Amino acid sequence: MLPDRLLKIFTSLRLTVVLLAFGIVLVFLGTLAQVDEGLYNAQARYFRQWLILGVDMFGWRVPLLLPGGYLIGTLLVINLVAAHIRRFELTTRKIGIQIAHAGVILLLVGQLATDMLARESQIRFSEGESRWYSESARNYELAFTTGADSNREQVITFPDTLLARGGEIQSASLPFVIRMKSFWKNSEPAFRAPMMQNGPPLTTNGVGANFDFSARPDVKTMDDKNVPTALIEIAGPDGSLGGWVVSGWTADDAMTEAVKESYVQQAGAQMAEKIIGQLTAPQSVEAGGKKFAFALRPIRFYDPFSLTLLNATHTVYPGTDIPKDFRSRVRIDNPQTGENREVEIYMNNPLRYAGLTFYQYQMDAGEAARQAGRVPSSVLQVVRNPGWLTPYVGCAMVAIGLVIQFTMHLVGFISKRSTK
Amino acid sequence: MKCSSLVRQLAFRGIWLLLCVALLSACKRENNQVYYAPKETPPAQTVAPNPGDNGTPMAAPEATTLPALAWTLPDGWQEKPPGEMRAASFSVTGKDGQSADVSVIPLPIVGRDFELVNMWRQQVQLPPATDPDAVKQAEPVAIGTEQGRLFDLASEQPMIGKSRERILVAMLTRGTMSWFFKMTGEESFVASQKPGLIQFLKSVSFNESPAASPQPLAIPEAPAENSWKPAWTVPPDWQEMPPAEFLLAEYAIAGANGAKADVNVAMLNGEGGGLLPNVNRWRGQLGLEPLKNDIELAHVVPEMDLPGGGHLTIVDFTGVDSKTGKPARLVGAVVPQNGRTWFYKLMGDEQLVGQQKEAFVKFIQSAKYPNAP
Repeated sequence: MLPDRLLKIFTSLRLTVVLLAFGIVLVFLGTLAQVDEGLYNAQARYFRQWLILGVDMFGWRVPLLLPGGYLIGTLLVINLVAAHIRRFELTTRKIGIQIAHAGVILLLVGQLATDMLARESQIRFSEGESRWYSESARNYELAFTTGADSNREQVITFPDTLLARGGEIQSASLPFVIRMKSFWKNSEPAFRAPMMQNGPPLTTNGVGANFDFSARPDVKTMDDKNVPTALIEIAGPDGSLGGWVVSGWTADDAMTEAVKESYVQQAGAQMAEKIIGQLTAPQSVEAGGKKFAFALRPIRFYDPFSLTLLNATHTVYPGTDIPKDFRSRVRIDNPQTGENREVEIYMNNPLRYAGLTFYQYQMDAGEAARQAGRVPSSVLQVVRNPGWLTPYVGCAMVAIGLVIQFTMHLVGFISKRSTK
Repeated sequence: MKCSSLVRQLAFRGIWLLLCVALLSACKRENNQVYYAPKETPPAQTVAPNPGDNGTPMAAPEATTLPALAWTLPDGWQEKPPGEMRAASFSVTGKDGQSADVSVIPLPIVGRDFELVNMWRQQVQLPPATDPDAVKQAEPVAIGTEQGRLFDLASEQPMIGKSRERILVAMLTRGTMSWFFKMTGEESFVASQKPGLIQFLKSVSFNESPAASPQPLAIPEAPAENSWKPAWTVPPDWQEMPPAEFLLAEYAIAGANGAKADVNVAMLNGEGGGLLPNVNRWRGQLGLEPLKNDIELAHVVPEMDLPGGGHLTIVDFTGVDSKTGKPARLVGAVVPQNGRTWFYKLMGDEQLVGQQKEAFVKFIQSAKYPNAP
């Protein structure tokens, strides 16, 4: 019977050995791939994957079909659990082994859960600014916003992975459809400086009239990120409403700041301010009697509370430029619980609140910011990891299980010896 | 049923459930989301409020009014709306339907010719020039009554359909502003229109009175509020002049035998674009090659402390005044204070500037800046 055959396969030691062998191959290939593809891409392609179609080695494409990290991990858990259950005996004699095995299973499942459920994002704000959300450091979304009432706005978002598929996208909440004309996973903006205008603009609407965008190769290092750009057409029931360029370069504060710095070097602070004003100018379309603002922005994760940056301090050791302390004083304002308090976040002292951990990540404060006339700002890394306890519990279970089992063996051995 | 077999059965069901969850998550589709979010507050100012001014935002930068241009259009040229940043715009249409775009743009860029040439080379997909002498390949051209330079670059590969692209850029520096007259289009057509462009350039005249142009061009410049004017001790032989727009103060110095020099003071937010670009702007006014980097800059820029705290950076160059064509000397000083930067310039007759340099430095040292700690 099929269930029996499946059971035999899943409980066999042979499957364990095969999976471990694939694991070794995967670690080897994934490590090699980091040279050409970078750490993040290699992790995503080999380990955060169910199946791997084709492997790149030393500049060659090898047509191989391999199980990815997720598949190997899941099958290993199933194999371990199934084998464990098949040979399960509810006796005190083997209680230590049971606990230790359960600990290993918890470690594997916990790691899979962490990988699939954990989320890292960032809050970037200047002194005096409040944020109800954190933003993804790597992924973008096309967001349409329209006023809902005096305090809230309705937001309709489409993730960049959906945009990359092309075609037509729509939402029941939008009175128009969005046609994807082009999508570049990574792109570069160039101001259509009067001396540099090269051919017609991508669109005559919005940012496209003043900036050219071009596709760039994907980035491979952890320090860089892909900044997408898309050329879209918005079409209502009566036909096209026009074409627009939406780009991560226009609505990602970290990116616009980098562009601004580059133009300050090229054309001076005043001109850079003007150019960036054009780059970040809001774009909107009117349809169905409503005005919809839209932007390709980092994916936002809203929270039911807000953080306000009260003070960002960057101190250095006297007489040097060596950082001594980065410190953000923030106010938590949670209307649901009525909580309103101030906390300090600094190195090795994160804020843990509402299942999130806020770490001090980056800072633009201190003498350098003051001299450049910039408002001090801070970036917090926000980590949500529902499975953060599993490694601790798993390791404790393995340790307890082994201690019990070895103690039982030791007691048995000593008592056997004393009876002799 | 034995207890252990019951546990076993339950556990196997758990495994199948785990497998299903794993497969379902593998097939997870990204889709759109709809939610309500609090309205965003407007972004904070990008310029730090000055200590002591109660956080009052600085007045928005005012605009420089540029001289109005007049010209005579060659045959086949048609004026277009100028558009963003352009002082004027034209289209040139050929008999066979070919066309070229002509733009006139003023920009506050001086002394960065090599970068500009490489920018234009990039536009026509040529590799960047490595030899700074590339700027000397320009041919002289008359722009009104003044002499400018004409750069002629063409792509090697087809860029407009099957045609190569050519750009002709005439450049004229007037004070702190450079004017660019640029024709872009198909290689052969632009080449055939070169005489027309030269004829147009010759017809251009700059009307220095406040712009009568129907659409004066706004270029952001430094704020010129009197509140930013420091209190200072002016040498007795300096004559105060009404400051030109966006200058805080201007003084004229008369020397022997009709020698003249001018002192002017300006203020910009932050670093005012940085030391190197500003020093190169001054070098450009004397027809000197720009310094390439901060290492070269460090060789020519001495620093001295100010009595009230802070420091000033001073440069001293001799060259030829690009406006008058006469030998000239420029002593420039940069003083960063309270998140803003003050620029002092003494420029004029070589000998007179030498005589006035000490008084100029004392004048700067006497300045007491608004909102100084």
